[in-house]
Amino acid sequence: MTKNMNPRRSWMILPAHDSAAAMRIQEFKPDVAVLDLEYSVPPKSREFARSGLAALVRRIGDGEAEAFVRVDRDTRWADVRAAMHRGIKGIVFPGPETAAEVTELGELIAALERERGLEPGATELVLMLESAQGFWNADALAKASPRVTALGVGRIDLTMRLGPVPQGEFRLYRFLMTRALVAARMLGKQPLGALWRPGSRGGVASKDSTVKAAREGRLLGFTGCLCATPEQVAWVNEGFR
Amino acid sequence: MSERLMPKYIRRSLLSLPIDDPQLGEQAFASWADAIILDFVRKPGTDWQKELRARMPAAIVAAARGGAEVFIRVNSDRAAAELDATVFSGIAGVVLKGVNGAEGIAQASARLDALEASRGIAAGSLEIDVEVNTAAGVWNSLEIARASRRFGTFTVNEPELCRNLGMHPEPVLEFEALEYIKSQLITVATSVGGQAQGMSYPLSLTQKNAGEEDLRKAVQRARDTGFKGAACHHASWIQVCNEGFRPSPGEIAYYRKVIAVFAEGLKRGMASVPIDGKMIDVPVDLRAKLYLEWANRAQARDDEKARAHEQ
Repeated sequence: MTKNMNPRRSWMILPAHDSAAAMRIQEFKPDVAVLDLEYSVPPKSREFARSGLAALVRRIGDGEAEAFVRVDRDTRWADVRAAMHRGIKGIVFPGPETAAEVTELGELIAALERERGLEPGATELVLMLESAQGFWNADALAKASPRVTALGVGRIDLTMRLGPVPQGEFRLYRFLMTRALVAARMLGKQPLGALWRPGSRGGVASKDSTVKAAREGRLLGFTGCLCATPEQVAWVNEGFR
Repeated sequence: MSERLMPKYIRRSLLSLPIDDPQLGEQAFASWADAIILDFVRKPGTDWQKELRARMPAAIVAAARGGAEVFIRVNSDRAAAELDATVFSGIAGVVLKGVNGAEGIAQASARLDALEASRGIAAGSLEIDVEVNTAAGVWNSLEIARASRRFGTFTVNEPELCRNLGMHPEPVLEFEALEYIKSQLITVATSVGGQAQGMSYPLSLTQKNAGEEDLRKAVQRARDTGFKGAACHHASWIQVCNEGFRPSPGEIAYYRKVIAVFAEGLKRGMASVPIDGKMIDVPVDLRAKLYLEWANRAQARDDEKARAHEQ
């Protein structure tokens, strides 16, 4: 799946419009750098973020972390165009729902690889499942392009379309994790996810809650997850050890 | 095949025995297992098929001595050759291991059609059970269960399935990691008129020789999850499974009372009657009758095995 032996435990989300923040990977040393064009970039900065992506991808790709770009589902075509430059390892596609969407994005990537002299077929696709359709069709989505190398449990708030916002334990989440895991293992893809609980995610996560989420993710069969804050990188690496 | 309210098979305890065991007949006889699954080894550098063909008929007879149903465990990826070598009159069916999709079942079923015809076995009588130990077996479980009318049961091989899924269930988890997978397999098997076999966590994984009290509770949890029996990794599990995967004496007494009191209430023109503070109505009465039928069938199976032991 990967050419190097990078275990890809910690996928650090970096705001693509803020190159100083993005280069904090040198300090936090995630296994994977995820340059984000989605939620961590304010809408007014999206175009600026796209314009700076080529340089950022090259800088990061030349370093130790693998460079991925997370696109926005609604603007994924423009985002992929902005991301496909030397140094790119793959695209993180949040919220795919049908196989056709995945196939189409894979074909766009192929065209850009040809156009820009990148190695044909080398750019990976990581699918983050975020909806009932996505979880139900997980196998079809993962089979829709040979580029797919990982299947992840995406933003919990979007999976919550399936139910009310939980205050305690989100039991449905475990069912969705099971589904993503089974599909990923069946097809030889990396399963991405952690057993996040309400109040343990992103900016409000503590060291303890992050390590626990990652460790329990590992016990459940997952091998890495996204890190919403820089501090989570070390904690996630510890949990997935 | 339609869904059944009660177990299709009274198959509470499944014991695996190798055909190479010189004590095969004695072990099977002494075990009181409802089902014996025969395992064989393909010895390299030999005509293993010829050897097995010569040995299987006697092994099947030996395994059946105590009144158990006899199955042969076959690897799905080499099913045709293994079925040819092992399927003989006297078995109830085969346990296919490593099935990843409907195709594996369809191929095995076609093979059994031919073997039934050539070896004097009633057409369509051999059952195909599936031991689930891969992610694909779980994901494709519905297609697998629907692939042949021969499909009978799913058995969850939890240690192998966990390895395949990259899971490392440990007691720090506050819940059962395979909960949803087990729920799926039980529901799918039942939806085609079959059933599922498995043990509850954590014994399902540790498979250790727990004390009788712990084992009893584990079997009750498994039964109340929807499993109708379990693979027994220790001979000591068999009796507890035989007693646990059926209505308990306490339940039988209670349901007898339910039926009697409800019948009395109906005569007095009532639609529901109270027992010990609970309201008894038609569905509870129906469940009571089903549980008694289940208990009777389990008892009949025990009597059948007892007769086999007298001979």
